[in-house]
Amino acid sequence: MNFRRLTTLLSAAASIAAASPTGEELFRDTIRPTLKQQCLGCHGEANTFAKLDLRTREATLKGGQRGPAIVSGNPDSSLLLKVIDHSGELKMPPGGDEKKLPPRIRQAFREWIAAGAPYATARAAGKSDYAEEDLWAFRPLREITPPSIGPPTNGMDPAPVRTPVDAFILSKLADKRLAPGPRADRLSLIRRVTFDLTGLPPTPEEVEAFLADPSDQAYKNLVERLLASPRYGERWARHWLDVTRYADTSGYSNDFERPNAWRYRDYVIRSFNNDQPYNRFILEQIAGDELFPNNPEAIIATGFLRTGPWEHTGMAVAAVTRQLFLDDVTHHVGQAFLGLTVGCARCHDHKFDPIPTKDYYRLQAVFSTTAFARRPLPFQRFESSEGFETGKKRYADIIAHLDRRQKELTDRARVRLAAQRGEEIAANATSQVLQRFLEGNEAETLKLLRKQAMIHKVSARRFEPLTTSVTSGLVDEWNDVTSGANSYLKAPDYENAETHVLIGGDIQAPADKVTPGVLEAVDRYSGFAASEIPSAVAGRRAALAKWIVDPRNPLTARVMVNRIWQYHFGRGLAANANNFGKMGKKPSHPELLDWLANFFIERDWSVKAVHRVILYSEAYQRSAEHSNLKELQQKDPENIYLARFSPRRLEAEELRDAMLAVSGELSGSRGGPGTYPQINAGVASQPRHIQGSLAPLYVPEAERRRRNRRSIYSFQQRGLMDPMIEIFNGANPDLTCERRESSTVPTQAFTLLNSEQSHEMALIMAQRIEKEASSLEGQIDRAFQLAYGRAPTEEELQLTRRHLEKMQQHHAAKRPKPRTEPPPVVGTISSELTGEKYEFVQARVAEAYEHNPHPSEVGPQTRALGDLALALFNSNEFVYLY
Amino acid sequence: MRRANRVFTARPSRREFLFNAGMGLGTVALSAMVQTQNAQAGVLSPKQGHHPARAKNCIFLLMTGGPSHIDTFDPKPKLADLHMTEFAKERTKFEASMNTGKRYFVRSPFQFRRAGKLGIEINAGFERFSECVDDVCFYRGLQAISVNHPTALFHINTGNRFGGDPAMGSWVTYGLGSENENLPGFVVLPDLAYPQGGAANWSNGFLPAHYQGTPLRPQGAPVLDMNPPEYVSEEQQRANLDFLGEMNRGHMQRHPEHAELAARIESYELAFRMQAEMPGAIDIESEPESTRELYGVGSDNDDIDSIGRRCLLARRLVERGVRFVQVIVGGWDSHDYIEKAHGSRVEAVDQPIAALLKDLKRTGLLKETLVVWAGEFGRSPDNGIRGGSKLWGRDHNAPAMAFWMAGGGAPRGKIVGATDETGRTAVEVVHPIKNMHVTLLHLLGLDDAKLTYFAQGREKQLSQTGGELIRELVA
Repeated sequence: MNFRRLTTLLSAAASIAAASPTGEELFRDTIRPTLKQQCLGCHGEANTFAKLDLRTREATLKGGQRGPAIVSGNPDSSLLLKVIDHSGELKMPPGGDEKKLPPRIRQAFREWIAAGAPYATARAAGKSDYAEEDLWAFRPLREITPPSIGPPTNGMDPAPVRTPVDAFILSKLADKRLAPGPRADRLSLIRRVTFDLTGLPPTPEEVEAFLADPSDQAYKNLVERLLASPRYGERWARHWLDVTRYADTSGYSNDFERPNAWRYRDYVIRSFNNDQPYNRFILEQIAGDELFPNNPEAIIATGFLRTGPWEHTGMAVAAVTRQLFLDDVTHHVGQAFLGLTVGCARCHDHKFDPIPTKDYYRLQAVFSTTAFARRPLPFQRFESSEGFETGKKRYADIIAHLDRRQKELTDRARVRLAAQRGEEIAANATSQVLQRFLEGNEAETLKLLRKQAMIHKVSARRFEPLTTSVTSGLVDEWNDVTSGANSYLKAPDYENAETHVLIGGDIQAPADKVTPGVLEAVDRYSGFAASEIPSAVAGRRAALAKWIVDPRNPLTARVMVNRIWQYHFGRGLAANANNFGKMGKKPSHPELLDWLANFFIERDWSVKAVHRVILYSEAYQRSAEHSNLKELQQKDPENIYLARFSPRRLEAEELRDAMLAVSGELSGSRGGPGTYPQINAGVASQPRHIQGSLAPLYVPEAERRRRNRRSIYSFQQRGLMDPMIEIFNGANPDLTCERRESSTVPTQAFTLLNSEQSHEMALIMAQRIEKEASSLEGQIDRAFQLAYGRAPTEEELQLTRRHLEKMQQHHAAKRPKPRTEPPPVVGTISSELTGEKYEFVQARVAEAYEHNPHPSEVGPQTRALGDLALALFNSNEFVYLY
Repeated sequence: MRRANRVFTARPSRREFLFNAGMGLGTVALSAMVQTQNAQAGVLSPKQGHHPARAKNCIFLLMTGGPSHIDTFDPKPKLADLHMTEFAKERTKFEASMNTGKRYFVRSPFQFRRAGKLGIEINAGFERFSECVDDVCFYRGLQAISVNHPTALFHINTGNRFGGDPAMGSWVTYGLGSENENLPGFVVLPDLAYPQGGAANWSNGFLPAHYQGTPLRPQGAPVLDMNPPEYVSEEQQRANLDFLGEMNRGHMQRHPEHAELAARIESYELAFRMQAEMPGAIDIESEPESTRELYGVGSDNDDIDSIGRRCLLARRLVERGVRFVQVIVGGWDSHDYIEKAHGSRVEAVDQPIAALLKDLKRTGLLKETLVVWAGEFGRSPDNGIRGGSKLWGRDHNAPAMAFWMAGGGAPRGKIVGATDETGRTAVEVVHPIKNMHVTLLHLLGLDDAKLTYFAQGREKQLSQTGGELIRELVA
């Protein structure tokens, strides 16, 4: 742990300890957990022995057969205390002295009863004193004039101020007595900005053109070209999907596909590409259905509210799964748009920020009428139907295959039935009757086939014009809760939804009823008055969304410009992009953050305007090198003040996409249902349990161009992440990802150097190089140009030539064995029906699989070039940006 | 049954012992590495715990599906009286529909035997395990919350029912590092099929990637892509690595400002040290035949063979300094025909698990290795009448479950806690999962309240919001 943080924590803890706890704090920290663990089993949850129910204050005051359990304010007259102190005949919890509660807890009960035995933990916002420095994000945006930068005192040339961003950065550097470094060389610059805006490497031709024109305008043209590229939205949507935890499936025990979740993914891509104003982007995602009911985009956008993992089955408690959604969406909206860890106030008032539990539940009440909808919505002309035809066929084939196998089994049962009871009875037998005539593992196999067919049928709905969205109040025919549906909420449950503060976050401990509302702290500290949120079924989300996008809301613009800054520089001005509260790092450049936020609002919330003011700055264009590196690393080891540019490793998707791009293999197709890339074959065939069955096999797309689309279009399955993406610190789809880590672990070396995908992609690159250059020297040059955007140095040329010659000789003497077809995948499952184990051959429909090239199919020269390409993919120059 | 489906049968081949020197760092890199704090070397090196540890390592035998406490280690003779008594359980707001409706009580179809000095009653099928009972502490007070497999699995593995948090093995490795940097610090030995919820059960969550559980794959290369494809020859790999090393060396000279480069080069070294060490670590065939037989390796029963191999592997890994090994054995979800289903599970685990305890004891490792056996929840004393049939099984049950521990710091030959007369709920020494987590960490020398990591706005911990030590479970 960071030492500074530790001391902060310790001092926070000390200040908490100093004051004696209030009755509410006692209840939260000691009484409630003790009641739950020691008492409620017999007196409240499953049973009410002695007619005593300790779940609510009222019931406890009323007591049971022996009279009131407590007398408020009077511990000595309270039966409960006598019982736990063992001072009378009745001793609790049962079990004699061994079970007697420790003195600390009994003392807490005494103090709690003395304090009036409150059963609530909520306290008003602002009651505790919050340090001003921890409230910065709640304070109104300040109008800031960029500082004027005088000439440097050391007589050197002044560093250029290209946009107001530079004024803030230089001013801070001067304060810190740090000298800004030089501008990056132009190759680094074009690689940096091209990956930054599109997630892809520049082509050798783009590099050449940029290097040929040293004017400032060339850089501006470059930025504008990239911002206008459809690849820009694909890259920047990924950032937003990290925040929203996008996946195509629901997770947990079935991991069913969400029909057309991809339409939301494409909506996000379009929004970035069209520079959709961010305020509108928020309105649509939170309340598109209420605010713009006739705009298809706005309906698709509400998929945002459905991005978390969620499932309801007959094994789950409906009230719990509903609450799970409500907690998820409350926390998520707070974190994504307001940069606040609202969820921390679920069980108790937020320990660090001015968010009382009551506010958490008021915010939650906004969503209490929100129902899941699988809503019909025609595909729009701007939506992609890429892959529909192959996909439909694929699903039809596999479903037909599974249905056929099911029919074979029921036919066998029918024959047996007919032999016993005659043809006529057999012909009309129900499936329940037939079930009894199955033998051995047939019944279990049938169950498996049925389940897998069902999973595929759910997935096949992606070709129907449906959306994964929401409505205010349940629309029965759009109800999107299918599994375990009969135990789930019905339309009246939404109409009459009530929200209560839940003590300790427990749905079995409802306290005060609350009405929909927003965070009071915003009003308190910024003066932007909280709006009324209607209590009608509809309109709650619309009101919340409007409150969030109001320019007077101090959080919204700050949070987003900070995210944009973070994605450009690797670190936010406030370094915890999801946490603008006390526990988040304080902004390094608070004035710049406010200036940018105001700028963002003034430019009609244009994300691209923020990109420009950042990308055009000298700060962004600085070199990673610095003339006084040693001193800089001592004074500013984390490069917070940006005297130089922080190098970064490619993110997982960038790395995969870059390998595809330089191989010439990257498909340019855009949008549409998720695609199945080639992933590690062992992982693809790994049997996985799902509820009562085995998950269907992962089968990569048969067509190379479908397989080799950009990673953002890969089907995101919560239960099965592409291990390559996972291992390079891809975003965990169950958690909002504030910032990608780039930790280096040994298993990354295995993946990049040893995987079939790497080897095959290297061969594809080799074939490309051979096509594009004929001489050995030309091929080496082309390989370097593609991978690094530059020619090899003389030394590298010699080194590479020697390596290639050596490898050619090696390969000429050794012919690889031809490719072998993978064996059928057999899963072992233990039958719930009979308790016996048996094997199940996973269904896989024969498709004409378009293989990647295999070493046995190409000559020794190509194989040697493949070795070169593989080394380039693994090299530090390929994976790092400067 | 097909032998092809057997696990961990591969012997290391020469091609797995390749590589190393070619990735040599050279002096530039080495000096850069010494300077940088970012070098990955040492991330996993052993660290001091918060207090003296009772156990150095942990082997967690996770029985997925929800083993029935009533039919294993917590007999309920009362159920014989109630057997086949029907009743209707009303659907309440807080009960899953699975557990409501028309139901009937089910007696345990199993015989029980008395074992150990105290004559602790256990399922008679635990023939070999019964000889280990004096080293085991059976805990009957533990309670889960969820009755849904994936959420309950996430709960027992990560402390968070809803997934996304680091697994206990990740926390332990984060807290203590590993004794062997050439092997992953946290290893998972799953069945052929992954449990519900999949890899999220051994995820590093928000902890750095170094602490992620590494599943050793039961077939093929034990670690994903540890070996290159078949068609890559030794010389080819060697030459490619040499070339890569040269390229990276030149690049590093051009980028003295970038400290991470040395670490990334070093990560290739670590990878290949792991590649060199792993085959030996998992080479079960190098064990004496008597040991393999003890564990049931080579048994005609494929399950005994599979679990035996993994238990033996767990011992070998712990011996080599792996901090946390989780063995996952599924198939306990016996809603119907429990006699057959649980009977075969008991038979499958009896020999391997007894062998593990005996072998650890024999080698002295049991003193420093905490062995835990648990499911994600228990099973109900009653069963639903489904489609009119009564098929003698049990549904899921959270308020009581099966759990035992043995070895480093655990009480020996003892029963802690109790359930009510039907086994529905724990009534003595009742604790939630989080307190069990706090206790296991405690035995490993870690304090849950101090083992924290800043994520999502606060210092997060395995118990989520703090828990208490179950003193009765500390010897």
